[in-house]
Amino acid sequence: MFMFAKTKEKIACFQGTPYQVALPVVCLFETSGLFTCAVCITFKYLYNCTIVSPSFSYDCVRVQIYFRLGSPFAVSMGAHYCAICRQTTFDGKGHIFGKSHQSRLRVVLHKFIEKVKEARRTLKKPQVEKYDSTQHDQKFWCYCCELEVQRHVTDNNMTVLCGGLIEHMATAEHRKNTHKFWWDNKADPKLRDKVIITEEETERFKSEVSNALETFVEVEDNYIEQQAEFIRRQEKHRQDVLQSLLEHESEAELTNGPNGTNVSAEDPVRFQPEGSDQQQTSRFVDSMAGAPGPASGMNLTFIGFQDPSNRGNVHTGAVPPWLQDDDPLEGSSGGTAPPEIGPSLQDFLKQKEREKLKKLPPNRVGANFDHTSQTDANWLPSFGRVWNSGRRWQSRHQYRQEEDHDNRAKRKSDHSAEASKRVKKTRNYDIT
Amino acid sequence: MSLFLPKLTCKKDIDEVIKGVAEKVVVLRFGRDEDSVCLQLDEILSKSAHDLSNMASIYIVDVDKAPVYTRYFDISYIPSTVFFFNGQHMKVDYGSPDHTKFVGSFKTKQDFMDLIEVIYRGAMRGKMIVQSPIDPRNITKYDLLYHGI
Repeated sequence: MFMFAKTKEKIACFQGTPYQVALPVVCLFETSGLFTCAVCITFKYLYNCTIVSPSFSYDCVRVQIYFRLGSPFAVSMGAHYCAICRQTTFDGKGHIFGKSHQSRLRVVLHKFIEKVKEARRTLKKPQVEKYDSTQHDQKFWCYCCELEVQRHVTDNNMTVLCGGLIEHMATAEHRKNTHKFWWDNKADPKLRDKVIITEEETERFKSEVSNALETFVEVEDNYIEQQAEFIRRQEKHRQDVLQSLLEHESEAELTNGPNGTNVSAEDPVRFQPEGSDQQQTSRFVDSMAGAPGPASGMNLTFIGFQDPSNRGNVHTGAVPPWLQDDDPLEGSSGGTAPPEIGPSLQDFLKQKEREKLKKLPPNRVGANFDHTSQTDANWLPSFGRVWNSGRRWQSRHQYRQEEDHDNRAKRKSDHSAEASKRVKKTRNYDIT
Repeated sequence: MSLFLPKLTCKKDIDEVIKGVAEKVVVLRFGRDEDSVCLQLDEILSKSAHDLSNMASIYIVDVDKAPVYTRYFDISYIPSTVFFFNGQHMKVDYGSPDHTKFVGSFKTKQDFMDLIEVIYRGAMRGKMIVQSPIDPRNITKYDLLYHGI
């Protein structure tokens, strides 16, 4: 087997020993070109190829060559970086028609067109806002021109929203780039016009913007006026109050000095209450130093100063009442030293015993035996006697009978004169 | 030996023990402290008392001190050991004529422990008479006679 490789300069045919083949093959494939593969008998383009593994046999040489194939255009472009996919491809134009590129392109365009749509909405009605440094310095990436553009137009006092975008879209540069971009990436031509903004639209926008700016400025001025008015009013009120108090004080002083000259009959009546509440008003003035609305303080009931000297209050950072153990409360509950909760120790131990009992089998011997029952002196346990059949308590019964019998016999023998005569005790065992 | 086991001296004490001990086998050894076989038995009882403490409570009774029980339990030979569980008397078939009590001493400590275990298990299952695990050769032989004959 042998292969022909036709390069710009020479035709080489290789066959022979491995070493002989290796060298010419390397130098042959430095440049790319069209060659005929004798094995496959097809025309193939050749570029960037490498010899991967020469395989040797004893008789002849067979060289395996792996190389990348592609169309003529691809070869002419060589390595191409696609900005949308962010990949380098060797396929050249082939890449653009591929599935992955198209899908990525669609996504990118969708996002881009969203931004433009938003900008278009403000075309007819431009929005002007007070400059906000956090938001209004944003830039956006124009895919067509491949550069970052300011989104909003601002002069550090007011901003026109999406103004920058519209301006950029209107430029002729951008139009050219958009066309190029659409052609290069084979995007949907219907969408192309959305990304461009025409001249007329821009003109209209500019006029609208100027109107909007004027109105915005007016509104701002109004607002500032209002604020100023408000502040002035407050200041005036404060001054008035201060004046009135000072007037009272000064009048009281005047009356204390000259005794009754220029004093009408009504004045003493007027001055006395003024004098009496002089001290109150002085305190009032002190407390009024930072009072916001003086009118509101007059119609509330005054309940006296709360004296926090021994306990402290919230401002001094004292312990809140709900976290304190309050002595008077504990005393009222009946004088029980720390009120215990839960069962006592005895109850608890008994409960433990009961739980243990529950675990025992219920059919055990004497399960229902009452261990704490009170019995008299001649209680006998239930004992099954040797020769007994029948219930065990019968043996007790029998025993009692015998004891009785024996006792009676003993008493009889004691009573009788013959002390030596002893009645043999016969115990009848109940066999039945 | 019998120094380490609790002694019961009157009927009242015995009553209290039989009624009071709950969920454990009550072992009452009837005999005299000086008797040689009793001494042997007492040694075995005291040595195994601790190991069986969860299953059984062991008490020593002098036959002379509580004649009522001596007569009631028909104790003719000493030592005699009677078993109770929850106030109920437990009978054990040793292969001997008398099932109501164990007469004589045990050959080994293990015999006694086995016996106690068998009684305990039987009682837990509701059996009032159980089969003794002790080899009949190790059990003292005695004759039981009708008294009146």
